[in-house]
Amino acid sequence: MDASEAAAVLARARQGDSEAFRVLVEQHSRSVFRLAFRMIGNEQDAEDVVQESFLRAYRQLGRFESRANFGTWLYRITANCAVDLMRSKQARHDQSRAEMLDAAVDTTMSNLPDPERMAGSAEIQRRVAQALEGLSPLERAAFTLRHYEGRSIEEISRTLGLGTSAAKHSVFRAVKKLRAVLEPLAQKVS
Amino acid sequence: MPHYSEDDLILYYYGEGRRRADIERHLGACSSCAAAYRQIAGTLSLVTAPEVPERDERYGLEVWQRIRHQLPEQETAWWPAWLRWDRLAVAGAAAALCAIVIAAFVAGRLWPRQDLPGMKMAASDTATEAGTRVRMAAISDHLERSERVLLDVMNASGARGAHIDVSDAQGWAADLIDDNRLYREAAARAGDTMIADVLDDLERNLLEIVHGPSTLTPAQLEQVRVRLDAAALLFKVRVLHDELRERETAPALPRKTT
Repeated sequence: MDASEAAAVLARARQGDSEAFRVLVEQHSRSVFRLAFRMIGNEQDAEDVVQESFLRAYRQLGRFESRANFGTWLYRITANCAVDLMRSKQARHDQSRAEMLDAAVDTTMSNLPDPERMAGSAEIQRRVAQALEGLSPLERAAFTLRHYEGRSIEEISRTLGLGTSAAKHSVFRAVKKLRAVLEPLAQKVS
Repeated sequence: MPHYSEDDLILYYYGEGRRRADIERHLGACSSCAAAYRQIAGTLSLVTAPEVPERDERYGLEVWQRIRHQLPEQETAWWPAWLRWDRLAVAGAAAALCAIVIAAFVAGRLWPRQDLPGMKMAASDTATEAGTRVRMAAISDHLERSERVLLDVMNASGARGAHIDVSDAQGWAADLIDDNRLYREAAARAGDTMIADVLDDLERNLLEIVHGPSTLTPAQLEQVRVRLDAAALLFKVRVLHDELRERETAPALPRKTT
């Protein structure tokens, strides 16, 4: 689809044409899923985020400025849907994140597998996932955008609607928490 | 030799920060910073992007099938968002200010010269008053946001005996600090010492929240609560917020015309 066709589809979708919106959904679903999965780390939840992101995008299409890039706008919606989902799950969690982080540190300190097992990297990934679970939704979102997605602090602040300083501090706190859990592993591996 | 902080090294790792060349030189010369950087880089290199489950070409269509019957009403253009009372108040005040400035300018051009000094003064008084109202509305909003952050911290809780995570409240507090400084300086310049004092208290406490640990033991959290209680900060913020809101809604005093 060339630029003028894409603009025409978007214009029709903004006027409430659901067929045009279907084209946008088909075009962007995979990238939305990829971002959602990286942020949440769980397939089922990522599917929920994909669904909610498109529904939210459809509802807010009237606010979308046609000069802006639809993909970038949708990316921002997806990131915020992921944060909302993490927040709602966090509210339902009985175990606090701090406890999870402590548990992850304890496991890492007391039960370091031998280097060969570690080299399998599945073990490392499991520990990393456990450590990521210990972050707050904002820390996790900011860290994912910086570390996996390669977004700058400036872009993270725009995406998550934070001040630059808050975005930066969210990344710093995330890295510090991850270091607390993962540093013993890193030393073992090196 | 001054050393770089962990935060500086994290930014450097991600290719950000303004002093990259300085840090690079420093890492070549300072073994303790180089070791700290190696630890950060070594740990972060373990965090590789998770493998995303494959989604084929038909995935978009599957998503569409799932959502097509749930499509909500589309919100109309930009104006409903502007109909929120707080934005209307600011927009209205700004429009009134523009109208007053234009009216003062036109009146200055058209009126007989002997009336000019009095009129200029009246227009300038009105403009000042409108400017003050806009500032008060902004400070009132800022206090409301600050109150929410303070309440988040005061009401934070976790499982019995566990650490309590206040990192989100720290994020919001960090967002408020720059605005707070600007409003405090504006209030001091305008001679509003009461507002400036409360904002000064608020700023110190916001800074302490931002620079404090992001997870607190119950005892540490209790200390923070005691400190905030002792400063009666939440009370002061609420009182000032209520007062500014009253000032916003109060009709302007009638102006003498003779």
